[in-house]
Amino acid sequence: MIEELRQRLQALQRPPGLEDDPGTVPLGLGMVDQVLGGGLARGALHEIAAAGEAHMPTAAGFTAGVAALSCAARGPHAGRDDKSVVWVAEDMALAESGAVYGPGLIDIGLAPERLVTVAVAHRRDLLWALEEALRCRSVGVVIGEMRGGALDTVAVRRLSLAAAESGALALLLRAAPEGDASTAATRWIIGAAPSAPNPYGLGAPCLTAQLTRNRRGPLGTWIIEWSESDARFVLATHAQPVAQPVSHRPHRKIA
Amino acid sequence: MLSLWLNRFLTDRIARLHETSASSSPRMREDGEDAKPAPREARALVVVGKRGNADVLVAVDAAAENLGLSPGLGLAQARAMHPSIDVVPEDVEADAALLEKIADWCLRYTPLVACDGRDGLLLDIGGCAHLYGGEDALVADLSARLEAAGFAFSIAIAGTIGAAWAAARFGTPGRYHGGEERALLSPLPLAALRIAPATAASLARVGLKRIGDIVDLPRAPLTARFGADLMRQLDRALGYEHEPLTPRLPVAPYVAEQRFAEPIAREEDVLAVTERLAARLATALERHGEGARRIELTLFRTDGAVRRIAAGTSRPLRDPPEIRALFVERLAALADAFDPGFGFDMARLAVLTAETCLPEQIGIGGASNAAEIGRMVDHLSARLGGGRVRRLVALDSHVPELASAAASAQAVREDDGWAAFRRHRAEADLAPRPLRLLAQPEPIEAVAEVPDGPPLRFVWRRAHHQIVAAEGPERIEGVWWSEHGGPARDYFRVEDKNGLRFWLFRAGLYRELMPGMPAPAWYVHGTCA
Repeated sequence: MIEELRQRLQALQRPPGLEDDPGTVPLGLGMVDQVLGGGLARGALHEIAAAGEAHMPTAAGFTAGVAALSCAARGPHAGRDDKSVVWVAEDMALAESGAVYGPGLIDIGLAPERLVTVAVAHRRDLLWALEEALRCRSVGVVIGEMRGGALDTVAVRRLSLAAAESGALALLLRAAPEGDASTAATRWIIGAAPSAPNPYGLGAPCLTAQLTRNRRGPLGTWIIEWSESDARFVLATHAQPVAQPVSHRPHRKIA
Repeated sequence: MLSLWLNRFLTDRIARLHETSASSSPRMREDGEDAKPAPREARALVVVGKRGNADVLVAVDAAAENLGLSPGLGLAQARAMHPSIDVVPEDVEADAALLEKIADWCLRYTPLVACDGRDGLLLDIGGCAHLYGGEDALVADLSARLEAAGFAFSIAIAGTIGAAWAAARFGTPGRYHGGEERALLSPLPLAALRIAPATAASLARVGLKRIGDIVDLPRAPLTARFGADLMRQLDRALGYEHEPLTPRLPVAPYVAEQRFAEPIAREEDVLAVTERLAARLATALERHGEGARRIELTLFRTDGAVRRIAAGTSRPLRDPPEIRALFVERLAALADAFDPGFGFDMARLAVLTAETCLPEQIGIGGASNAAEIGRMVDHLSARLGGGRVRRLVALDSHVPELASAAASAQAVREDDGWAAFRRHRAEADLAPRPLRLLAQPEPIEAVAEVPDGPPLRFVWRRAHHQIVAAEGPERIEGVWWSEHGGPARDYFRVEDKNGLRFWLFRAGLYRELMPGMPAPAWYVHGTCA
């Protein structure tokens, strides 16, 4: 409790805003974290777009992985590490992709007990719910999932400000990349990539992560894998041929 | 105990409808003319219904009664007697709906309101009359409202339900003090005791026509001859046996209300009143060590309509500003439906469900995490609806779509089941599960090796997928102990050449295929990262 009082005094002495550093969520990839300045910044809004509608599950998986890393990593307020994750999704998104499945979350490393899911009918309800969730001090990650339609810059700026005030990690998950400028801290385009061949079945899931906007440094494209055993992202090491002749790849299956 | 009898309820309802929409109401002209409607006073109105196979009059209005028509008369006979009467078929649902609305009006006097038959109401005003300045003032207020609405009525107040009922319908309406029941009831006919008409008829055959005739008779022979019901109704009417009133709506344990000299219509005023009423409730709740889980705000409009707004919370709540914040969200969600009309002249805040809530020590660090999350969940639920804010719960089922469910976040659960699920997963060594599960498995066209192979390619939502790697099969049996259980499923985790991953299954086994059974079909159930 003394620690908390101390931090509170410090927070009061400093004016709130961008000078505060709520910390970052390191992705666990050396190069990527360096480019990001330590990791995905907390207290900021990050846009994660799927390369296409078909790649939405991969983008959702990347988002869930980031959320799992955020919960596992300890923020500067070390005492409060039981923060919740709020996933707000539009009804259209839930109808197309299905609901988040608890056992699947366990496999990724995100505890389903922390998750609160919200289903909204309209875009304005989505924005309101995201702001309401960001206003709560006990929320660590807020994920907003939407389909179709643009989000106007005013709304994105409001969300960024709300995220900055609360210190939570705000992730906006959308189905198609947007071209226009935005005030998000980083912008990603996630697509699926073939995974490394594995004699025991399917290997680690592999995806291409293209950083198209970064306030803190240069951009880049990486092919990364999610390592289930370590519960973190690793750079893919297997070769990625451009064209794979499908007919030559035998099926691998476990009896 | 106040008994309100709307003695011309059915015809009054039709008359009000006719007054509001003279041209569109359904009316059957007896004499076939389609001239413009005759003035109201000239045409008698009767309501007709089917009893057995015949059309009989169910209700008549004052003009029809003057002509000599009464309920129970056959329609053909009535038409023969008086050709030019208005005949309207009965509408039981509309009558019941209107009676419910009038019962809602009467909620402003007392929460104990019950519907009594098709055309009456019972109010228990035992402890509430003083709030209106006495029983006479209450009756005057109710009478004025009913007259303004155009209903004929008679009101009687007595010590028991039976006595009030009898007085309103068969005696002289008015106020009777407790103890006067016998004097009030004696001259009334036996039908005033709410007994079956057959019993009343058989009593009449014996020569017993008035209540005074049977009050002093020995009870045992009467019970033996006419049934126990007769004596029970008599005892209840005289007050020897207590007859409780079953109110229409459950009575809330904590209620605070406020009347306004000047009706309020603005949302901020309504919210300010809510906070004030919540402060009054908070002291009562604290005294009992309870907090509110469900709160209802009832607003009574000046023109009689009643608006009810309910809000639920995820943990027992007492704090007035937090209750006000809940209703801010509820009113924002209602938006257009919140129509104050000319204003509200009374507001009542009731705690429908209360739970023990011990006072908690608020540390310097502020409220706990759980309380903060609870508050956020309450706000989201108040605005969006309780069913849209959910948490994941693990259920004890091996069927994948039933193993995890989403339950309302406001319902507090001791154990989510996830610890047990993790143990089961470790013991049973389950294969990895998808991140997202479709609500219903979607059928796909798949080409696969028969009998047990994974699919080689498939078409889903008009997209072709070529599979390069597959894992499985994982056999999950259906619910074999139920006749509605599905066939066994072989699940495969597959990856297509672009890297997209799916969780597919084949429902049904080829080796179990029998003639007449449908062939095993392929479905996609979920998508993996």
